[in-house]
Amino acid sequence: MNSLPLLPANIVDIIGSSLAILLSFLALYYARILVRTEPNNFIWGFLFYFCVAMAAFSLSRGVGHIVRIFLVFGGQGALWKELSPYSGGFNTMLIISTAAVTIYYHKGLAAYKAIRSEAEKLSEANSKLFSSAAQLKLLNTHLEEIVDERTRNLSTSEKKFRKFFENSKDIIFFCDQSGYLTSINSSGRELLDLDPSLERVSFYDLFARAEDRQRYVDALQKNGFVRDLEIECRGRGGTRRYILFTANTVYDQAGTMVGCEGIGKDMTRLKTMTKQLINREKMASVGEMAAGVAHEINTPLGIILGYTQLMLDDYHQGTDAHANLEVMERQTKACRRIVADLLKFSRQADSVKAAIDLNQLIEEVLAVTEHSLNIHQVRVIRNFDPHHPEVIGDAEKLRQVMINLLNNAQYAMAEDGGRLFITTYSQQEEVLLSVRDTGSGIPEEIKSKIFDPFFTTKEVGKGTGLGLSVIYGIIQEHGGSITVESPFIDPESGETISGTAFQIRLPLSEAPKQTDREHT
Amino acid sequence: MKRPPYRQHCWLLLWSILCAPGSAWALQPHSAPEGLYVHQMSHLLFMGALIYLYWHTRRTPELSGRGWRYLQTFCLLFAGWNLLALVGHEAIKFLSPGDFIAKSSWNEQIVGPISPIKMVYFITKMDHLLYVPALVALVVGLRSFSQEVLREKEQ
Repeated sequence: MNSLPLLPANIVDIIGSSLAILLSFLALYYARILVRTEPNNFIWGFLFYFCVAMAAFSLSRGVGHIVRIFLVFGGQGALWKELSPYSGGFNTMLIISTAAVTIYYHKGLAAYKAIRSEAEKLSEANSKLFSSAAQLKLLNTHLEEIVDERTRNLSTSEKKFRKFFENSKDIIFFCDQSGYLTSINSSGRELLDLDPSLERVSFYDLFARAEDRQRYVDALQKNGFVRDLEIECRGRGGTRRYILFTANTVYDQAGTMVGCEGIGKDMTRLKTMTKQLINREKMASVGEMAAGVAHEINTPLGIILGYTQLMLDDYHQGTDAHANLEVMERQTKACRRIVADLLKFSRQADSVKAAIDLNQLIEEVLAVTEHSLNIHQVRVIRNFDPHHPEVIGDAEKLRQVMINLLNNAQYAMAEDGGRLFITTYSQQEEVLLSVRDTGSGIPEEIKSKIFDPFFTTKEVGKGTGLGLSVIYGIIQEHGGSITVESPFIDPESGETISGTAFQIRLPLSEAPKQTDREHT
Repeated sequence: MKRPPYRQHCWLLLWSILCAPGSAWALQPHSAPEGLYVHQMSHLLFMGALIYLYWHTRRTPELSGRGWRYLQTFCLLFAGWNLLALVGHEAIKFLSPGDFIAKSSWNEQIVGPISPIKMVYFITKMDHLLYVPALVALVVGLRSFSQEVLREKEQ
């Protein structure tokens, strides 16, 4: 190759320089957009200053090249020679500036990243703070409503349980560690007959028997609960009730017993009814047996008595044989009376019923027996209701009822005498007769046997043990009931009075009713 | 407080210089080739800076995406241009006015035979063929950044 023309290089130089100026300023334009959009972004800031340096360099260099070509090729080479050092120096300075901007970029970036990291943390913390503040504000705003709602719910719940507690017909109670009642519902206070004036009542003191108390405490301590434990409880006035207890031990967080809570169900009525049912069945069985025995004995006794009386005619009075036969006749008649009483108890005796004035009937009996009573220092106190209607009954048998009751009363007050209260009054469709003495009373253990035939506390030969059995049979025959209360508790004062009270209920109509016998 | 012993030596040296001057050390003369050396060194500095920028942006995870790829391309191309310019400046030192004909005119030519130095000079004379594509990469990269930022702002 002989020569290499430089025209293409000069053309490339001119066009390239022009394009370089254009492109560098275009780059600066986009960098400016970045800086304006995100002025706090360090990278965009770096690129902007880099582009400024690049644009300045491209402008300086491009203009320099173009000027050089046109001056030199236009014959102004000397002028260019003057300008050339300035253009070159300027270019060098801008190259160094651009390089310096680039070199220090990483330090700026590191600082920017550190700042941005802290800013992000701060922003996150601010965001959390804002969120917390918003929540706190919301909570504050609704705090009153929330408190109101919860108070309302709590109050509703408390009322519900309070109502259940107070309206329950069973006993609901809470005790402390020592067994003192901390809370008990109204049914509990009523059933256990608690003194409202007492501030502290020991639950265990209500137990009638010490062994029951021990059983209850042992079960609570050992098992942590008591289930269906029947306890006999004693109220303030000595009233006894049978309560079926179910209770739990209350523990604190450390597992130490701090008290107990429980429910008690009154079983007294059920127990009484069960006793009554058993007694009724027993008396029915005994009655049937007595009736059978009486019938079987009555006929031979009649024959013995008849032959005895016939034989009496065969011997002269004053002879030994006559005297022996009189003893036989007397004893046989005694046996017949016993048999007759058995028949009355078993309701096998014939009755003639008519309208009877009970007050008059009692007066008739007292007319015969009061003298004897007075001799034994028994004062009769009458308390008759003059307006009560008449009852339908067998006057003879009812007289016997009164005689037997008065005899028993006299026997009970035999030692020091006493007072005998006889009361009549009407109640709904019944006439009530109460005979109460101030005697020794009936021990609890024999109370259930007093109406049994041949049961007696008297010495041998002084009683047959048929008095109350006869009364029971007669009253039953009249469709009534008889109850016994010993000792007697005054219904008005609640005072316990020594003695025994029999209360007889007789119906006003002829229709016989179910009979009851109660021991209280 | 006790003064450190080297302070006394410093004071002694300063007094010696001021009180017993030899040649004038105040100003340094600058000969002609100094400008070219500075210029060449600036090319080297700029090239190093661009290579560093390329390397740093490559290894920084946050600086990834289309725009950064164009910026890295720019760095490589412009570092290459710096090298080309540096070579061109060096090559011209090996040429004499006799190597050109019709100098300072549109018909200017390099006289044959065309040696490698002359060919290198010719090639480096057309450095804009590297310079312009490098700036195109810079423009496209910045355009990508700006579009991205504007899109994010709109969102």
